[in-house]
Amino acid sequence: MDGICLELAGKVSAEGSRLDEADEHDLIRRAQHGDRAAFEVLVRLYDREVLRLAIKVVGSPDEAQDLYQEAFLKVYRSIAHFRFDSRFSTWLYRVVMNVCLDHLRRQKNRSEVQAPESEEGQPEFFQTLADEKPGLDPERSVQGKEIRQRIGTALSQLTPRERMVFELKHYQGMRLRAIGELCGTTEETAKNCLFRATQKLRVALVDLA
Amino acid sequence: MECKTFEENLALYLYEELGAEERSAFEEHVKSCPACRSLLEQSRGVQQLLHQRAAAEPTPELLVECREALYRALDREQFGWRGLIRSWLPVAIGFPASQAVSTAALVVLGFSLGWVLRPHANRLSLPIKTDTAQTVPASDLSNVHINDITQVAPDAQTGAIRITLNAERKMTLEGSLDDPRIRDLLVNAVKGYDNAGIRRDTLDALRAGSRQPSVREALIYTMQHDPNTGMRLEALKTVEGMEWGSDLSQALIDSADHEQNPGVRLTAIVALVNHAEQAKDRTLVPELQRLAGNDSNRYVRITCAKAVHDLVGDGY
Repeated sequence: MDGICLELAGKVSAEGSRLDEADEHDLIRRAQHGDRAAFEVLVRLYDREVLRLAIKVVGSPDEAQDLYQEAFLKVYRSIAHFRFDSRFSTWLYRVVMNVCLDHLRRQKNRSEVQAPESEEGQPEFFQTLADEKPGLDPERSVQGKEIRQRIGTALSQLTPRERMVFELKHYQGMRLRAIGELCGTTEETAKNCLFRATQKLRVALVDLA
Repeated sequence: MECKTFEENLALYLYEELGAEERSAFEEHVKSCPACRSLLEQSRGVQQLLHQRAAAEPTPELLVECREALYRALDREQFGWRGLIRSWLPVAIGFPASQAVSTAALVVLGFSLGWVLRPHANRLSLPIKTDTAQTVPASDLSNVHINDITQVAPDAQTGAIRITLNAERKMTLEGSLDDPRIRDLLVNAVKGYDNAGIRRDTLDALRAGSRQPSVREALIYTMQHDPNTGMRLEALKTVEGMEWGSDLSQALIDSADHEQNPGVRLTAIVALVNHAEQAKDRTLVPELQRLAGNDSNRYVRITCAKAVHDLVGDGY
């Protein structure tokens, strides 16, 4: 390993802005040849998005951390098989998707999604996440908590694939064609998943709207 | 647009996935159908409600924690290699060049190794202590590549400086297959190293050592389990020259039954047939009969049938 990885790492800002394609390909090739530092630069390019998606899917930072690690370890073990026939980000997010889907399938056995019970003195779970309305009064805060719990329950009623499509569409703003590609399916299938997901959510939450 | 079509397109409209023509038809229908207009308002309400769910932006602390945990996991992934190399270190440094030259097969491999020193690692000073607690002479700094400095902590009172960094050292090892440590390293490499090019070079290096049980086992393993088709084929060509045994026989039969790649599968079957005919090994007759009778490949059926005929005569 030489100073090239340091130079490339220097191009990545704290927010993980992207390198140009040639630099990224260079990093990937180095990582494929066992260059650990190059792989870690790749991690820093994408891990904020990966973690954000994982938190959205599972709702728990602890579980999201497990999914984050599982996804990147899979990428680390199989990066030698990446053949540059798609964008690296597409390939990476497909791995993340499959990890999240597997998690949702395992979680489907639970009857409902519940926020972890807070221990005494520990902040409420939902308050550990960035809050768009930090100035809520107590009554509104309780109502907000109840709404979020109802939303969590409604989302848990979706199938894993419906959940993933909905999360990627509603919260990540991805196009359905891109979602279909990530899920290894067609745009039409993604559309059908979105249709079913929104239908179920409307039935579950319309009284709150 | 009918109400049924309206409902089917509702989510696509809300998430701006409809084309211009469809969107126009959708909006026209909304104007004229109170029921669908109400449904649209409900759906908009639910969509707004769902935005109340927290943005789930990872905190910087969480991100750092995730990265550190990942790096520790990556260290564990690599530990199998590190453990082997670390046990070598006193031997490799003192390995006499004359002994390497005199051996029958010289193996020269270059791996890029990483002693990754995390913030919780040992205090660093000159001479540098690695995480193996070995003291490396300061002159060896020339062979160390610094990947990343994560902390510089000067002590104003003592004048000492504590530097925490990630460093990497490239090593070249020389030896032969007679050396069990070289052999172990190569056996592990051919069975588990991620890079197919390295595995291929390793396979070439191991060819001469197939009499060693661990090498034999590794070659048979590669023939059956390597994820790369070319590797399985190369391993198959290597094992054809090995001394016959029940392990090899069974591995070739398994390949004949389960190998997905037709070329590799055919090579395995031909290896079985060649051995059976050359060694007059009638223990393979039942397997060859099965292939002659059931295989979907005509060439396989003919070849196996001929072999069986040659082994048992006109009784077949």
